[in-house]
Amino acid sequence: MLRYFIFILLLFTQHSLLAGEVQQTRNPDSGLLSWKIDDQGFSLELIQLLPDFVRAVYGSHKFPPEAVEEIANYCVFGTIAINSSDKSLSYRVADWHALMADGKKHSLKTKTQWVDEWRKLGIRYSWTILPAEQTFEVGDWSQGFTTVKLPREKPFDLIYSWNLEGKNYVGKIKNIRCAPENLPEK
Amino acid sequence: MLEKSRIFAVRRKICLKNKLRGAFVLLIGFCLLTPGVMADEQTLPSLGYRLNALSKPIDAPDFNLQDMDENNYSLKDFRGKVLLVNFWATWCPPCRREMPSMERLYQKLKDSDFTVIAINQFEDPDHVFAYIGQLGTDPTFPILFDRESKISEAYKVAGLPTTYLVDKKGKIRYRAVGGREFDHPEVEKIIHALIAED
Repeated sequence: MLRYFIFILLLFTQHSLLAGEVQQTRNPDSGLLSWKIDDQGFSLELIQLLPDFVRAVYGSHKFPPEAVEEIANYCVFGTIAINSSDKSLSYRVADWHALMADGKKHSLKTKTQWVDEWRKLGIRYSWTILPAEQTFEVGDWSQGFTTVKLPREKPFDLIYSWNLEGKNYVGKIKNIRCAPENLPEK
Repeated sequence: MLEKSRIFAVRRKICLKNKLRGAFVLLIGFCLLTPGVMADEQTLPSLGYRLNALSKPIDAPDFNLQDMDENNYSLKDFRGKVLLVNFWATWCPPCRREMPSMERLYQKLKDSDFTVIAINQFEDPDHVFAYIGQLGTDPTFPILFDRESKISEAYKVAGLPTTYLVDKKGKIRYRAVGGREFDHPEVEKIIHALIAED
């Protein structure tokens, strides 16, 4: 019976997605937003994460409070990157940036940068953040946090890039917003 | 003293009657309390089944790790068997999703020259013990603890889950980054072919 319940739940949460088209979804339970695009063999999805959720994640891994607050003050997205092609694909988060309405660019803070900072604080933990760069073979995918230091209320475009069998591609997801400080009012 | 894995099996039998009701309550609680995670669970991509062959097989790095009952395991214990090595953590949604398929695969092939190990990253056995109690399927293959992620570094694991298929001579032959349905017939076909090698 539970299997059927979960199946029906999943059925209602699956969405068809046209190539190259950004789909924005609002989670009906939380009100939080997510954006998904599948273009030229690379599928990318960003999901708003509340600062309190980020605090809970790193608090549970026994990070010192100042390190927890540091990352909770970033704009953090749950991120799913998928090789949807039948070829080898690679990406580098260091090549991605947030573009503000005033034309100012903000680089994403990569896993490598976070781990370097954490090492200096004596933290050995190195998981949860989306790998800074990866080569995906067919069927490979990854999930983790992406982070960028931005004012919560300011929308931005994410400019991201990938390489598919030697050819570079650039994508854009417009009008992304950080999660609010607290759950939105229903 | 009973082993933790046996305590778990007993506890699971006792809880069987309340399983559906308990799971439903857990699911609803999960939705209400962790909206960020729920967003993740709802939108996760379907698990594939493709394992990618390495163009040049490499020696699987050795390890010496303990399971929940503090039994020691090293790579040489599995020499002569095809070995599925899975790197995972409890907080990782695709890791949770693929684990039941690893158990089904293990049950199907454990009597041939094949076994599975799941190497947990950076979590303590008590935490993992509590988590395993929530899984629909009990893993009966060894769950090992890489408390400082040294073994995952040696295997060059960038993200979780990552899984390797090691041949009978200890060479890494296949890799999968991200969750998979490991009991898919295509995966079984690859494993049978490796088992058949000299």
